[in-house]
Amino acid sequence: MARDTYPAVDYVRRHLRVGWWSLLGFLILGFVLEVLHGFKTGLYLDVSNETRRLMWTLAHAHGALLGLVHVLYALCLRLLPGVAAGSQRLVSSSLIGASVLLPGGFFLGGVGFYAGDPGLGILAAPVGATLLIIAVYLIARAAASPDSRPEPPGGEGRRGKKR
Amino acid sequence: MQSARDPLRFAPAAVLLLASAGLGVALATSGVRDVPESEIDTRPVQVGSDGYVSSDTCKACHPSEYDSWFGSFHRTMTQVATPETVRADFDGVRVENTHGQPMLLERDGDKFWAEFDDPGWEGPEADRPRITRQVVMITGSHHQNIYWYETGHDRGLNVLPSVYLIKEQRWASRSAVVLHPPQQSLAMLNGHWNAICIVCHTTQGKTAFDTPYRSEAFELQAIDTTVAEFGIACESCHGPAEAHIAANQNPLRRYSLHLGGDDDPTIVQPSLLDPQRSSQVCGQCHSVWEFYDAEDERQANWAGLPYRPGDELRDTRFIAQPSVDRSSPEIRTLANDDPEFVRGSFWPDGMVRVSGREYNGLIDSPCFRDATEPEHTLTCFSCHTLHKTAEDPRPVSEWADTHQVSTGMAGNDACLQCHEPMRDDVTVHTRHLAESSGSNCYNCHMPYTSYGLLKTERSHTISSPTATETVELGRPNACNLCHLDRTVGWTADHLHDWYDTPVPELGGANRTVAAALLWILSGDAGLRALTAQSMGWAPAQEASGTSWMVPHLGEALGDRYDAVRFIAARSLRSLPGYADLAYDFDGPEQERVDVAVQVLSAWRASPASRQRREPELLVDADGDLRVDAMRRLFDQRTRRPLFLRE
Repeated sequence: MARDTYPAVDYVRRHLRVGWWSLLGFLILGFVLEVLHGFKTGLYLDVSNETRRLMWTLAHAHGALLGLVHVLYALCLRLLPGVAAGSQRLVSSSLIGASVLLPGGFFLGGVGFYAGDPGLGILAAPVGATLLIIAVYLIARAAASPDSRPEPPGGEGRRGKKR
Repeated sequence: MQSARDPLRFAPAAVLLLASAGLGVALATSGVRDVPESEIDTRPVQVGSDGYVSSDTCKACHPSEYDSWFGSFHRTMTQVATPETVRADFDGVRVENTHGQPMLLERDGDKFWAEFDDPGWEGPEADRPRITRQVVMITGSHHQNIYWYETGHDRGLNVLPSVYLIKEQRWASRSAVVLHPPQQSLAMLNGHWNAICIVCHTTQGKTAFDTPYRSEAFELQAIDTTVAEFGIACESCHGPAEAHIAANQNPLRRYSLHLGGDDDPTIVQPSLLDPQRSSQVCGQCHSVWEFYDAEDERQANWAGLPYRPGDELRDTRFIAQPSVDRSSPEIRTLANDDPEFVRGSFWPDGMVRVSGREYNGLIDSPCFRDATEPEHTLTCFSCHTLHKTAEDPRPVSEWADTHQVSTGMAGNDACLQCHEPMRDDVTVHTRHLAESSGSNCYNCHMPYTSYGLLKTERSHTISSPTATETVELGRPNACNLCHLDRTVGWTADHLHDWYDTPVPELGGANRTVAAALLWILSGDAGLRALTAQSMGWAPAQEASGTSWMVPHLGEALGDRYDAVRFIAARSLRSLPGYADLAYDFDGPEQERVDVAVQVLSAWRASPASRQRREPELLVDADGDLRVDAMRRLFDQRTRRPLFLRE
């Protein structure tokens, strides 16, 4: 994609869609965890399941926050044209991968675990974290480039239309 | 839009930084700052050494195990005195139950102070001065809080003249809470915690006296006592964990162990040791033991005890087992130093008779001693668990309060693990109803013949009841501990009929007077305590009835031994109509006698006195007590002083 081209609408829609659905899913997970608290469910609250509680709490927190990151990224695509340039496909894929692997790894790590160590599902978490770091780095780099600055109010945008 | 030179561009970061700094200052200056152990020089302190890293380090990887240990009384065997750990009220309290003048207690913020008679005074009693000392340490948290104060001499501690009984929520003088000859003064306990208690009530304690304890005046000795951790912590049973922690910081190693199912050689798992070694982990404290010689003691003084879990315990200390080594040089040496040593801890045949020494009971048990297969060998872990399992539905507090017995092991399943063929019909063996206490294996094969902490405990020696043990050894047999109203002869006949057990020669009143009355009237103080406790034991009350017990428990309210009086009062309060009995076992003698007389008079006037008119119960056909017979038995009472080394 050329640097000056208008960001593809499907990326904006994709990340808005992924973001809001992800947010919904992980908020529901949060609700379920609250229910487990409410009913003092042993499989979540017993001290012997402390690792599960930590892992599932992390899954909820990371999943919900990553949902917001997707929404934020979609907005950035519109506000900061430079962000849309370059590695957009890599950024998009990395963000989506992180949204699956990071909270998913935490969740699976809490399904089966070894005392203080999470289960093998936790191996997905560092892969997801790496993808997230890559995506955030690329976005940050793009946001810092002069091309990414939005036009002043009332001025003509690089895309040739008023904002 | 802000330009690159906007002077306010760093404002948010600056605000955040200032807020963080403010919060940090507020936290640092609020509340009471805990004094680091390294700055304390007036009591023993916790110091990591010799590879010991403390239980805090274990928590992250073993939260469940940490949690159950944290809820156990092992952890709180020794605690620093804090508002959270002190169970007694110190807020302007006057304690009458003490030695000498009343003890005055004060709380000043987080500090606890006591004013009492100076126990070290050697001048005229009338001139004995008062001293005020800060309470800094506590021993025990289950039944008693024993408070230790700083002496002001190095890290040396001494004990308050009164002990707090937790369940009863009351104080009692120190001499009253041990089964101890009434006329014999208690030893001065300057430095006693540092030298003695530390051994089993802390993890890797080092007494660190510059000269052997009691070899010279306390004030002349330098004392630098340290421990790895107060209380019995993870490393007491698993060994020092420094190497284990270091090795397992590598996640690949941890997951390799998880997935491979291999044991971790960097730490000891007592339950995986062979039966002998695993039980010795408990036996390092739950036994009657002594150093082999003075040199061993000197080494331990500076370096701590050399035993580590997994070691052979007898390589590092002498375990007294009079049942097999009564004539050994070690026992003879102990008996020379303390002629009452054996009698104060063991029955005449060598069975342990004090609680807290369950390992001695185990090693005398045929299920341990004669076992040939590890999987069919009785160990401590056959019935107890040091960590409540996730499957155990009981709260940690209940598990801890019931001797950390494993799930289901409070009943016959404990024995049926090996004696499986009996499971189908236990009554064929027991000759008692299936659901009755007489069909509970423990009650016949591990009866309450040990004493400690103002109560009785099961012997922990697996044995079969006989009349012989009662007649020849003076130990109550299991049958009569429940059938208190029956004679020893009755027991002998039943055991002979049912199990072909030989009938001993039964002289004296063994065929004419109920066993319980023989014991409580003629027995030594230890036997009287066991009998009084049995009279308050629900299975015995159900089997024997209770109406006849009152005058005898009432008589025991006047016993010369404080511990017997305490137990008698507790059992009496368990009888119908006596729950609110006003009686202080540690109070003035005349008050105690008055209450005993009132109890007896009230019983004589009540219908209960005429319910059981049996000569074995020393009640004649008219329902009157046979006082003359009681007097004769009382006159036969053993007068030899008894001090049980609980």
